[in-house]
Amino acid sequence: MKPRPPTMRGKRRYILVRMDPPGLDLDGRELYYAVSESLTDIFGDAGVARIQPSVVSCGEGYAIIRCTRSAEDQVIAGLATVAYIRERKVAIRSILTSGTMRSLRQHLDTLRDGQSFPERDVTFQGRPWISVRFRGTKVDLFEKGFKNQERLFLTEDDLEE
Amino acid sequence: MQYTDACVFPLPLGDSSLRRMALEARELGFDSIVAAGVAGSVYRGIEIIGGTLIHAKETREVQAVLRKDNSQRSLPIVSAGGYSFNRAVIQAGWAKVIREIHATPRNSFDHIISRMAADKQVAVDLDLSVLIQERGYMRQKVLQRYADLVSLQGRFDFPFTISSGARSILDMKSRRDMIALCGLFGLDRDGALSALGNVSRIIHREKSVEVVG
Repeated sequence: MKPRPPTMRGKRRYILVRMDPPGLDLDGRELYYAVSESLTDIFGDAGVARIQPSVVSCGEGYAIIRCTRSAEDQVIAGLATVAYIRERKVAIRSILTSGTMRSLRQHLDTLRDGQSFPERDVTFQGRPWISVRFRGTKVDLFEKGFKNQERLFLTEDDLEE
Repeated sequence: MQYTDACVFPLPLGDSSLRRMALEARELGFDSIVAAGVAGSVYRGIEIIGGTLIHAKETREVQAVLRKDNSQRSLPIVSAGGYSFNRAVIQAGWAKVIREIHATPRNSFDHIISRMAADKQVAVDLDLSVLIQERGYMRQKVLQRYADLVSLQGRFDFPFTISSGARSILDMKSRRDMIALCGLFGLDRDGALSALGNVSRIIHREKSVEVVG
């Protein structure tokens, strides 16, 4: 089959998103279902058919989502309403919108700066926790235990007090 | 313009410390946050404004809380109630921000109160967390209510503030996300940006009148 000429193809927009909290291991399929469900809740089936969302790349805490041109604000609103995936609390934050994937990938290279997450045992409010340090002075505390682990979001200054 | 998230709930009300929320706010494009139940401060360039949240059924209770909380620096934020309550609170100038209007009857904030809010420069807070937490009928109701407020604001020009209502850094939204969410109920980009700058306008207006000597 002959491919459709570029001038006759629908125009697309690509949105670079960051998935928080850090260390989240989501695959593209899970992200797609979450985004699609969220958009369907807000805009309905007809709206999602017009928006045509799809996840074109996903990994290491970032993803690129494709949609039709002029629907990017709707997708960003839909992404902002995703609060849980697989019963885990998440935040999907849009960072940049572009007409090509190449520029988003270039931007992504500047964001990925060899992330390492050093862990250590700490005591906070009289309870034992595992602390994981993220970007800059951010520290996440994971309650020690087998299930229903509580997670706190602090800074190094909070731990030093 | 100084952009402010008009209400967040740090530890112990949520799972994130005030400092972590301030860091996150900076990354999300804000210059300041209003945090419930804390004293005002500055952390790594982010201004933290203390907010006094007042949930009351009668105006006497609002007065009592404000009398007890004599720290002039905190921002009094009153949860909306019935028509007469809202009218009294705005007319007396006790509240600088009135929030949770979506949870009150539709007639509790009409054109008369809108004009009063514009005269007294009392802001109406649009809490975006309800749009995220609710689904179906309840979300539709909130969207309808916010759209109604946007149309009243277009006519009477009272100030809006926008808050994430975040109890965790994962609930906090970037400026870009907030603008997109406001688009769902008809508040355009300029209106949303103006609303994000209104907290500092309210505070600095208060500070600009000083009696010297």
